[in-house]
Formats: sequence, C-alpha cells, structure tokens
Amino acid sequence: MGRMIRLLVLFVLMLPPTFSQTKGNSIPRASNGKPDLTGVWQGGSERPGSWDEANTGLGVGGTGRDPSAPAAPSSNDRPAGREGAPYQPWAAQKVLESFNRRGIDDPTALCLPSGIPRIVMLGLFPQQIIQTPQQVVMLYEYMNVFRVIPLNAKHPDDLIPAYMGNSVGHWEGDTLVVDVIGFNDKTWLSGTGTLHSDSLHITERFTRVSKDRINYQVTMEDPKVFTKPWVLNSSLMLREGTRLQEYVCAENNLDPGYYEKLLKDGVKITR
Amino acid sequence: MAHSISRAVTLAAGVAALATILLAHHSFGAEYDSTKPVTLTGVITKVEWTNPHSYFFLDVKDAKGNVANWKLEGYPPSVLSRTGWKKDVTMKTGDTVTVFGWHARDGTNWAHSREVTFADGKKLFFGPPAGTGDGGNSPAVDVK
Repeated sequence: MGRMIRLLVLFVLMLPPTFSQTKGNSIPRASNGKPDLTGVWQGGSERPGSWDEANTGLGVGGTGRDPSAPAAPSSNDRPAGREGAPYQPWAAQKVLESFNRRGIDDPTALCLPSGIPRIVMLGLFPQQIIQTPQQVVMLYEYMNVFRVIPLNAKHPDDLIPAYMGNSVGHWEGDTLVVDVIGFNDKTWLSGTGTLHSDSLHITERFTRVSKDRINYQVTMEDPKVFTKPWVLNSSLMLREGTRLQEYVCAENNLDPGYYEKLLKDGVKITR
Repeated sequence: MAHSISRAVTLAAGVAALATILLAHHSFGAEYDSTKPVTLTGVITKVEWTNPHSYFFLDVKDAKGNVANWKLEGYPPSVLSRTGWKKDVTMKTGDTVTVFGWHARDGTNWAHSREVTFADGKKLFFGPPAGTGDGGNSPAVDVK
C-alpha cells in the first residue's frame, strides 16, 4: 500500500505543470529576454501581496488588523540563525560597543544615507527598480537616495568615496550581478555597528525567482575589517500599487539632540 | 469625559515578547524604555507630520484634574500614509484618543507611540514596536 502511494505521488510530481502554475511562477521578461526587475519592492520581507496585505499585524507599519502576523526583521537586527559577522577581533569589539550603546552612533540618526546592503534589506520603506537594456536604476524612498547602474561597463577611474559607492552591473544568465566599490567608511552594512573601511567591495546578485520575489545575495569583502567575505541572503517582494514618496530626513531630526540631552543628564541608555 | 493616565504594566511582558525589531530612523532603546509601557487618554493639541518622525501632542488630565501635555513620537508621513492614516483627517486637534506606547528614559512627558485607539474604537499604529532600531537581541558578531 505504501509503495502504491509513493508511486502515485511520484506520478503526480512527474505531471507537467498546469497552466495556472506556469503562469504563477513565470517571471516578467524584458524585450531582450532578460528578467525584468522593474517594479516597486519591499526588502526584509518574505510575505507576498500588496503593501497593505503584507504589513498587517506587527509587521512593518502594521495596521493592527492581524496582531498575530509576524513582523519583518530590521536591517539593524541580527535575524535568528544568522552566523556572526566575520569581523577581525578589533573590529568585532567596535561592533559590540556600538550594540551596547544601543546604536546611538547610527549614521542614519544624522540623516546620512544608509549605504549598501543595508538600504536594500530594510523593510519600512519601499524601493523601486527601473530596468533598461543599458542600465538599471534603483531608487530608495529612505533617505531619498538612488543608484544608477550601467550594464557591461567599468567603474570610473576617478571615484570619490561615496556613501552608496559606485555600481556597475552585468547579467549572468537570469541573475543581475552588481559590483560596487568606491565607498567611504561612514555607513553600516547590516546590523548595529557593522562598520567597514573604504576598501569595501560588494557583489550583489539579484535573481527574480517568481513574479513576487527577487532573491538577493550580497557578498561583502573588506580585508581591513573581515577575516573572510561576509555573505547574506535576503529577498525583495513585489509591492504592486505602492509608490515611492518623499523622505527629507533633515526636516525635523530631533534625535541627535535627544541623545545629547540624555547623555548630558546622565540618563543610562547603554545596555 | 474623564481623561486618565495609567501605566499598562500588566502588558509589559506580552509586549516585550512581541517586540520584534523593525528598522526605524533611530534607536528606540536609546530614547525609550521598553520596560515602561504607558497608556494615555487625552485630547490632541497638535499633530506634526514630519520626517524623520511624526509627532502628536496630547493634553492628559490626571485624577486630581491637573493637565499635562505629552509628546508622542512615531512613523514618518510616508509610512503613516501607507498604513491607513490621512493627514488632517485621521487625527485632528481636539480629538480624544488613547495611545499605548513606551515612556522616554528621562521620565518627562514624552513617549514613543505604538497603537492609537480613536473615539469610535478604530485602532491604528502610529509607530513601530518597542526595541526598534537599537540592535535587537544579539550583536552582529558572536561574543565569546
């Protein structure tokens, strides 16, 4: 009986996919045949659906309709199961010190750009990808920053150290590979205190695996702070109907003043 | 209507358990104490839809009839607008609301706002959960 069931399961698995399955798993393609990454996306989430559907409950910006729904992880947080970042001992100590200060030295508290990959992996704000055969443009609502990524091009020779670095891309099969150098050392990578040097070299791999999802893998190399490359995997989820909005962080940024006041008043804020 | 202030201490454990971390502009934990939840009912005196955080101000009357003005911090305008809020409509000066959040570490009339309950019973989140942005439960590096 058990053998018959196994055979039946095998038979079903061997059946060709139905039209709806094919349709559901197909990915949009550009006129040149490459996967089309164009769209508005949310990082740090694995929940499909519209922004509203995917962010209920305790999720990012949740509306409270479903309090049992899981929350999306933060790019400041270390998700359960993630390996420790491979920092050299001196750098690991600095990461720990920042954690114990509860991240009051976060560059974004000063309204500075989040850098990469932090801004790709955060979930509170959407990001938009616009793809052409010659270049891919990535727009981020958070801090209103952008990346213009020429395809099959070399990095310029006259790079000025930058928060978002300098990106060039190419296709490897159905995966967009983006090479990023030219960073300054003023951003965090992924998590509180995750410093890097201006030697940071990032390789990102964007693979649209379904209509709803891009798999995102990022490899961070920085021989000045790491003992080996730091590799993280995340995802971007399609948020149809969402539009990017303005985010002018400097408008009313009270946090540095709060931190200063709390420290001046001797209020304990460290762990 | 009697305006009251009460500490929702009994909620602390449950809230702490649910306080999965989200990214916000800054560290929650540096400014607010997740062990000090607070529930306030009062009358809105001002609403500021600003980046990187929005604020509203609430006149809260204690049992003796003394009124204190509280400052509540929350999401920026883009997040509010994506999660059911309409500027100058959802919450206006003169409205009576109840807000659940966490007290600032300095003990002044200042809090991080999470859930707002309106007069008709409708609830919306004005800000993220406790713990937002201060690093989570463990640092990015393994501590030996």
